Amino acid sequence: MLQAHSFLWNYLWVAPNVYLFILALLLCKRGFVRVSPAFLAFAFVSALAEIAAFLADVIPSVSPENFWRVIWVGLLAESLLKFLILGDVFSRVFAPYGSIARTGKRLVGGFGGLLVLVSGVVAGFGQGDNINVIVSGAHLLEQTVFIIESGLIIFLFLFAAYFRLEWDRLSFGILLGLGISSCEHLATWAIIANASPSEHVRTLFAFLNMATYHLSVLIWVFYLLVPGRVVAKSAVPLPENNLAVWNRELERLLQQ
Amino acid sequence: MILAIFLVIFAVLALVFILRITVTRALEVSGSGDVAPKIEPIDIEAFRNLVNAAESEYLYRRLPAPEFRRVQRERLRAAAAYIRVASHNASLLVMIGQAALAVGDAKTADAARQLVDSALLLRRNAALAMFRIYLAMAWPQSSLSATPVLQGYERLSSSAMLLGRLQNPAVPVRISVRS
Repeated sequence: MLQAHSFLWNYLWVAPNVYLFILALLLCKRGFVRVSPAFLAFAFVSALAEIAAFLADVIPSVSPENFWRVIWVGLLAESLLKFLILGDVFSRVFAPYGSIARTGKRLVGGFGGLLVLVSGVVAGFGQGDNINVIVSGAHLLEQTVFIIESGLIIFLFLFAAYFRLEWDRLSFGILLGLGISSCEHLATWAIIANASPSEHVRTLFAFLNMATYHLSVLIWVFYLLVPGRVVAKSAVPLPENNLAVWNRELERLLQQ
Repeated sequence: MILAIFLVIFAVLALVFILRITVTRALEVSGSGDVAPKIEPIDIEAFRNLVNAAESEYLYRRLPAPEFRRVQRERLRAAAAYIRVASHNASLLVMIGQAALAVGDAKTADAARQLVDSALLLRRNAALAMFRIYLAMAWPQSSLSATPVLQGYERLSSSAMLLGRLQNPAVPVRISVRS
């Protein structure tokens, strides 16, 4: 069952991308292009790139070099779009609050720069798991992208948590799917790119990666298509308490 | 291999953090009614004295150096405690303000937006001020200015009062002992 090109393998490679493509079509119909064009572009491009990679893998006439070229093109396009999505989410969550928007932008820029530097150093120290540069390069690029991506996602979650900002359902769902996928992929690509695991372990990692991506797509379907629970909120007046009285009494006591 | 181990540990911790946030968010019920009583009033005048540069200058001139360092550290510690409470209050007001944004009429929504913005500014200034206080604790002679926090808190106080009056004109609202 856990063999390359088994039924489960083919399902996990193709199905999430078909679901993602259908999700993109449904979102398009709902006018989502005005809400988050970056995610819509990512959904279309990522689904098509992965299906193209699958076809390149199963069609015998496609050479291994061409298969890896297809992987590279998809990887570069997906990576660029993922960072656009993160920028999009940042704008939607933080831009309405002028007091922290600029600070947030500076911090994200600085932290992003630091992550690029760190991931570059990590890639530089990476051993490379294949003598073919096109293969090991793709693995190192995956690792680099996932370091930056997961770092930025954690930063956004921390930033919002510190300021106690509420997430809108859309931004949270997108970031949650990307976050889970990027963390799991980072762990597996770090091992693949640096620890030269056996072929069997690589296959297991491929299953894990595909299953996690499938989960992420389902998370996006849930958050973007299923309407959120509407919680009835009532206006709450700011409360009065007697701490002021206590403070006055204590001050009087101290002044005696 | 060490790199791989380091990255795997980072990835696992990040994943746990993301899942924790997801669970917390799922369990979170709109609790602005519960958070309001947690707001602690702060004596802004006492805080003003603690961070008064003239007062520090006076102590510096009157006390022997070791005594001044000890006293100044105590004062800074107390100022930090005030800032922590102010920052905590601000975070509660962000939650209340965001809840008010969702239900209020246009006037209340405006006041709520102003409150949230001021509270966020205070959170930011408090983080910076705490950083400076810890630096000043290491070097008690260095100058310390917590003025942005003070001004932010005073602004926040007036925003909260405006929102409170709009939501419930009968109930007086104050989040500082003196303002």
